[in-house]
Amino acid sequence: MNTELKRALYNISSLANLGHEVASSDNFTVKVQSLLYVIMGTFLSGKGAIFLYERSTGLIVPVAHKGIDDTGYLELAVSPETLLLMKKNEPCGDTAELPLPFRNMLSRTGTAIFVPLWVRDEFIGAIILGRKFSSEPYSTDDHELLRIIAIQIAVTLNNNALFTRLSEQLEKNRRLYEEMRRIYHDTIQAFAAAIDAKDGYTKRHSQRVAKYSVAIARELGWNESDTEGIYIAGFLHDVGKIIINGELLNKKGPLTEKEMFELRNHSLLSYNIISKIKFPWKDVVGMIRHHHERFDGMGYPDAVTGDNLSEGARILALADSFDAMTSNRPYRNGMDLKGALEELRKCRDVQFDGKVVAALCRVLEKEISGELPAPDILPHLDRNFDPSLITELIEALTEELSS
Amino acid sequence: MNVTNFKVTSRHVEDVVILYPQGYLNNIAGENLVKECDSFLESGIRKVVLNFSETGFINTIGISMLLGIIEKLKEAGGTLCFTNLSKAYIDTFEMLGLARYMHIFPEENEAVRFLSDIKQA
Repeated sequence: MNTELKRALYNISSLANLGHEVASSDNFTVKVQSLLYVIMGTFLSGKGAIFLYERSTGLIVPVAHKGIDDTGYLELAVSPETLLLMKKNEPCGDTAELPLPFRNMLSRTGTAIFVPLWVRDEFIGAIILGRKFSSEPYSTDDHELLRIIAIQIAVTLNNNALFTRLSEQLEKNRRLYEEMRRIYHDTIQAFAAAIDAKDGYTKRHSQRVAKYSVAIARELGWNESDTEGIYIAGFLHDVGKIIINGELLNKKGPLTEKEMFELRNHSLLSYNIISKIKFPWKDVVGMIRHHHERFDGMGYPDAVTGDNLSEGARILALADSFDAMTSNRPYRNGMDLKGALEELRKCRDVQFDGKVVAALCRVLEKEISGELPAPDILPHLDRNFDPSLITELIEALTEELSS
Repeated sequence: MNVTNFKVTSRHVEDVVILYPQGYLNNIAGENLVKECDSFLESGIRKVVLNFSETGFINTIGISMLLGIIEKLKEAGGTLCFTNLSKAYIDTFEMLGLARYMHIFPEENEAVRFLSDIKQA
């Protein structure tokens, strides 16, 4: 095999190496450094650098360099218009064709070739390359091979720049979404506070129902999105009370049948208000409409039986009642945890879904044992109870409900 | 291509250091060979043997790294020998014009003997 053929094969294998590095999954820094090694190995040069053009600063900055002692000369302000006189992706030696700042860069770094990198009409960066180890000048064939390599590298740098811009935009959008989500949650919480303020008996009731519902839903293995949905439903389930007369809401004595009807109508009113909103989470309006339904079908407004109620509605119903049981009212004290658990035992599979009651018991057990570092329910309950007695009761109830 | 399992071991025979690149010299991991050489040069070693008996494959990236080592030894006034190279690589080095800057021996002991006879400046 003659030398020319061997050299041609070597150049072909260099291009294959280049293609492999371009397509590799290495991070950008490693990829560009590898590409520089391929170029230097192809032309047997001990010096070289690859630059990226930063549109924001107007500078070309080195993303890989090798063999250049003084890297201070590698950062340069560039006006892409000055490069338009040169052919795109064409290697250029230290000649009059090369704009003066780049000629200075070549002489100061001891390099011999400058290649401006373009993709279509966009200036992307540059390559500089040192003299050949053999001291031979770069031939016309070398220039042609370097031009082909430069086109590949320009596309690689451009893809990375596009990816970086896209990632930055994604991050910006993500931050914007988080900010909007926070404002949304704050608004809903403020709204819930307004509902609770109207009903003097139920201070922070909506917030607790939201928290309890989330704790039970998580225990039942709900995903993050659905859990967020029940959290919102918890906050807004009593929104219909806004329309109900304040005197009726705060009435201490027994209610007439008409008053009872009006009060019970709040879940339907909540539904009517909330159904105007298109939530990104599933079944928020359904959960709100049915938070006073019972497992035995004796609830309101639709008297739906357990099997036809969504799990969310069953969770919300239990969380709502559990908070009502354990909260103080002006006309009665809230039940202690033991009393509430006994009540749940009596009402399981009648008023409440036994599976959901069991989940609440498991959450309480975990919160008492300290297994859950940030308890959602326990801090809101009367802490005057014997944990061991409660644990025994919960264990017995959980076992009963699981059998 | 193998991108990870490249390592370098070494041993001394008096003032000669012998380096054994193990694996494929075809990616950025080959910088370890250059760094290893640099550290021996910094410690005053000027006689280096690269034994390629355990090197599977060398591509353009590997050639670029070997070129870096050749240049540094040249600048430091040292001597570099290559041993256990396959004929294909010897042909490539000759074609690229690198062979004239290398001392190529079939076996390591011949390279060590050659270097031992050189008086270090």
